[in-house]
Amino acid sequence: MKKLIKNPQFHFILLGLLLCVVPQLAEMGIFKISYVTILGGTFIFAIAALGLNILLGYSGLISLGTAGFMGFAAYLSAYFTMDMNLPFEVSFILAVLIPTLIGILVGLVSLKIEGIYLAIATLAVSEIFRKTFGEFDFFTNGFSGKSATYPTLLGIFELDRAGAYYFVVVVLVIVMLLTYNMMNGRLGRALNAMRGSEAASQAMGVNLLNHRLIAFALATMYASIAGVLYIHFSKYTYPDTWTLKLSLDFLAMIVIGGLRSIYGTLLGAFIVYAVPDLFLKEIPYFSDLSYILNGVLIILVIIFYPNGLINMFNDVKRLFGKLKKGEK
Amino acid sequence: MSTFIQVILRSLETGSIYALAALSIIIIFRTSNIVNFSQGSVAMFNTFVVTYLFNTLGINIWLAAAGGIVSAILIGLLIDFVIIRHTKKVHPEAKQIITLGMMMIVLGITPMFFGVDPLRLPKMIETGNLSIFGADISYNGVFNILFGLAVMGALFFILQKTKVGLAIRSTASNEYTAKLMGVPTKTVTLAAWALAGVLGVISGVMTAPMTSVTLHIMDDVQLNALIAVVLGGFQTFYGPVVGAYIIGISRNLLLYYGSSVWGGQILYVLILVFLVFRPHGLFGKKIIKKV
Repeated sequence: MKKLIKNPQFHFILLGLLLCVVPQLAEMGIFKISYVTILGGTFIFAIAALGLNILLGYSGLISLGTAGFMGFAAYLSAYFTMDMNLPFEVSFILAVLIPTLIGILVGLVSLKIEGIYLAIATLAVSEIFRKTFGEFDFFTNGFSGKSATYPTLLGIFELDRAGAYYFVVVVLVIVMLLTYNMMNGRLGRALNAMRGSEAASQAMGVNLLNHRLIAFALATMYASIAGVLYIHFSKYTYPDTWTLKLSLDFLAMIVIGGLRSIYGTLLGAFIVYAVPDLFLKEIPYFSDLSYILNGVLIILVIIFYPNGLINMFNDVKRLFGKLKKGEK
Repeated sequence: MSTFIQVILRSLETGSIYALAALSIIIIFRTSNIVNFSQGSVAMFNTFVVTYLFNTLGINIWLAAAGGIVSAILIGLLIDFVIIRHTKKVHPEAKQIITLGMMMIVLGITPMFFGVDPLRLPKMIETGNLSIFGADISYNGVFNILFGLAVMGALFFILQKTKVGLAIRSTASNEYTAKLMGVPTKTVTLAAWALAGVLGVISGVMTAPMTSVTLHIMDDVQLNALIAVVLGGFQTFYGPVVGAYIIGISRNLLLYYGSSVWGGQILYVLILVFLVFRPHGLFGKKIIKKV
């Protein structure tokens, strides 16, 4: 039993169960119903940010193309389910697979291009996607936007808003478990070594090409999963969602929360995406300022907590430890 | 033939807009080591200032533009004083996120001052057309091309031939050593942010007559400027300018002679392919990493 409590995998599942209570609380009237939508959105963005965290945090490769890939997957899934009437599961797999293949292609490019050049090269890829969303009417419905429905699982279970929320939470927990296991295993160690020094890691037998491709494949896969969930949770998308601003938001989530931290990414997504809607808009006289306050918050966090807000908990713990020692 | 010249002239006009924006990004990057993603939104804010001065207060457009330049300088100084100075210890990736925070602040503040309706800003020179080999270009277009070139020429003269330019270049090449040599690097960075703001508002005022002044007026310009900087390389000041003109010209040629729908995308793909073969841009040199 004690082992189970200390098991990090168990913590993720526990967190998932805890998050599943939100819709019930909303129905009981403790929360507003809109909180379910906001939190679901937060988790969806957290999934994409986790992918970026693997890329930037562990492998040290920066990408500004997350929004483009996420949007691409969203449009694909909408097209497959609405226009081609494919079952949700098939469209999910296809809509994740196709962008991932393109992501691997970008991974190949990343062998030659580095640092900020890579960031803006991936931004160009994302822009190609966004422009295509606007122009390719037959597939994306142009600037008027594309709509989809809540997912139907196995062809029988038609999910409603709460059901879609549960589905998002389940996927989030699976993704978190997957990330934790991969990053604490052989792959994570190899990526860490690659970030530290490419030459040294190569000397130790890490295949640079393979691992860069894996890192990019994982990042685009997560972004695509997030994209599919997004379209089936918010039920609507239009080209201007998938701009540079959104890619920067993902970057902000992981930098604020903490690089190489799974809970940190979730915290970062919460601060960037949910805090303005949940809290800042509630403060009287300040509702118009939510955007500004969020910007100020981001700047303050980065200046005072450059290693991520997740370290705040450690600092608090240490502070308490010191106080306890003082008493003795 | 005349349509070809027409296309080229138009491209030179957009090219100089991109070039000014690209120059503003590279100046910040070289002196503060930040890719300034808020460049476009700050330029947008200052363009709103110009529009406000012209539309609401009824000031002459030239004076309004001058007012925009003053506000650009003030905002540039403010950004460096209040935020950038305190970020010396911050992780390089986190620094870019600070500019995202600034972008959000500007995007939030602008509607509070200027409302949410799209506004119009007329051309600097309202009427008149010039005919070159059968191609028409407005006097304003000629003015934009020449003024852009003049601003950039003056800037490069200052950078290469004066003591101030030397200070900027030495700060750009190595801030720590420059400081040891007695270069006031803090003042240089401060001036760089002000200068970047001015270049931004000039490109903004040039863009405004082609569309309407909204929150997203500079998004496209900023994006092309960023890609121009990568195309030209981050290591020189002139590289991004050349990159910007290349993008301006080839984009319009592709849109006109290639495909009006896919031209933009084709250009980006070509640039990506180019980057694979020259990963540090046109004028960038490969930095040899020591193991």
